[in-house]
Amino acid sequence: MSGTAKITDLAIQISSGPRWAMVRTHFGIGAFGVNAYVADEPGIAVIGEHDELGDLAGRHEELYFVASGHATFTVDGNEIDAPAGTFVFVRDPAAKRGAIATEAGTAVVIAGGKPGEAFTPSAWERSAPALNYFATRDYDKAIEEFERLRAEAPDDPGLLYNLACAESLAGRATDAVEHLSRAVELDPDFRRLAEKDSDFDPIRAKPEFASAVAGESDPGGSGA
Amino acid sequence: MTERTYEVAHLDELDSFPVDEEGLVWRPVRRRLGIRAFGTNAYTAEKAGDRVVEEHFERDGHEELYLVAKGRATFTLGDEEIDASAGTFVYATPGTKRGAVAAEPETTIVAFGAKPGVPHEISGWEGIFVALGHLKKGEEDKGRQAMAAAIAERPNDWQGQYNAACFESLTGNKDEAIAHLQRAIELDPKAREFAQKDTDFDWLRDDPEFPA
Repeated sequence: MSGTAKITDLAIQISSGPRWAMVRTHFGIGAFGVNAYVADEPGIAVIGEHDELGDLAGRHEELYFVASGHATFTVDGNEIDAPAGTFVFVRDPAAKRGAIATEAGTAVVIAGGKPGEAFTPSAWERSAPALNYFATRDYDKAIEEFERLRAEAPDDPGLLYNLACAESLAGRATDAVEHLSRAVELDPDFRRLAEKDSDFDPIRAKPEFASAVAGESDPGGSGA
Repeated sequence: MTERTYEVAHLDELDSFPVDEEGLVWRPVRRRLGIRAFGTNAYTAEKAGDRVVEEHFERDGHEELYLVAKGRATFTLGDEEIDASAGTFVYATPGTKRGAVAAEPETTIVAFGAKPGVPHEISGWEGIFVALGHLKKGEEDKGRQAMAAAIAERPNDWQGQYNAACFESLTGNKDEAIAHLQRAIELDPKAREFAQKDTDFDWLRDDPEFPA
């Protein structure tokens, strides 16, 4: 259905870092990927460093538009000063890209798709409906929603990882470790993410957690 | 030729092509950056009251998302009127009539669009708008070159030949205008119906060779 929304109203805080506006899922857009990230303070990685090659990414070409504020992009090691009104288009899915906000209230809109193919949402975006509950700290509701989504994709490592985050924050340590272990088994790249993810602080001291995250690398895919 | 990994452009650096008499100015983004997976463009209005999104339906089934990047606009979305300040998204399904008028000077809209379920096909109107935009700016030669390029990109689309006929009619070239219009009608007879009502051809309408 047609509609309107402000970026700042859509953007919710899911974990540390920028706020995420789930633009595509909010409007039900099916033809291209589109999301926005808002950094409320300078110094925040408004676009986390990633490429578009990981299992969770869509191999998309991505267009970043600085809608407000000011950011410094880095694409394949090249630094780009990007005030409001700047477009940064990353054609190559293999290019490492990221951006740091240099002003408070920096908002970056990302649109993406794969040339020559009909758009399909990236796997990482599957968790979006459940992640909404992180903003209100309603982790039990988030877990319910993740379980519903798991019925459609039982072996989606991103979904299992996010489920583990919700379970950790909800105090369900055993379930969190079980699902994190499964996520890492399916995609070892989640080890490094889990090591730094504050969502796991409640269970970080457990030996089972330590055994699940003994590794390194990057899961990739944080865009449109 | 090896494609660059990435491209950068600021809104202020984009080309500007006037589109209509209501102040709408098209700023090509997709063409400038070489995007292929979806359509994206910017539109600017110099002063309040100027049009900043053409009133239209998306007849080819595109979903469209507009972002007010700068200034403020009054959108019409179906029967609804929306006051949209900078940072507002306006999403329109293909069947929804939409348009916008700037409520502040220097209002800028960025639009994203594509058709669900199919690979993105670059819209044929882009090349034609470049050609007609050059003409509106008084750059006749550049416009003619751009129109030739637009036709070469899509030789079987009647719209290229039709707009070339308009271009030549508006620049007083009767023979070229009639030749392009004849070709457009050969490609699709509905070009005749459009030509019968199109004021671009008013001065040619009574000519015995005028094909519409």
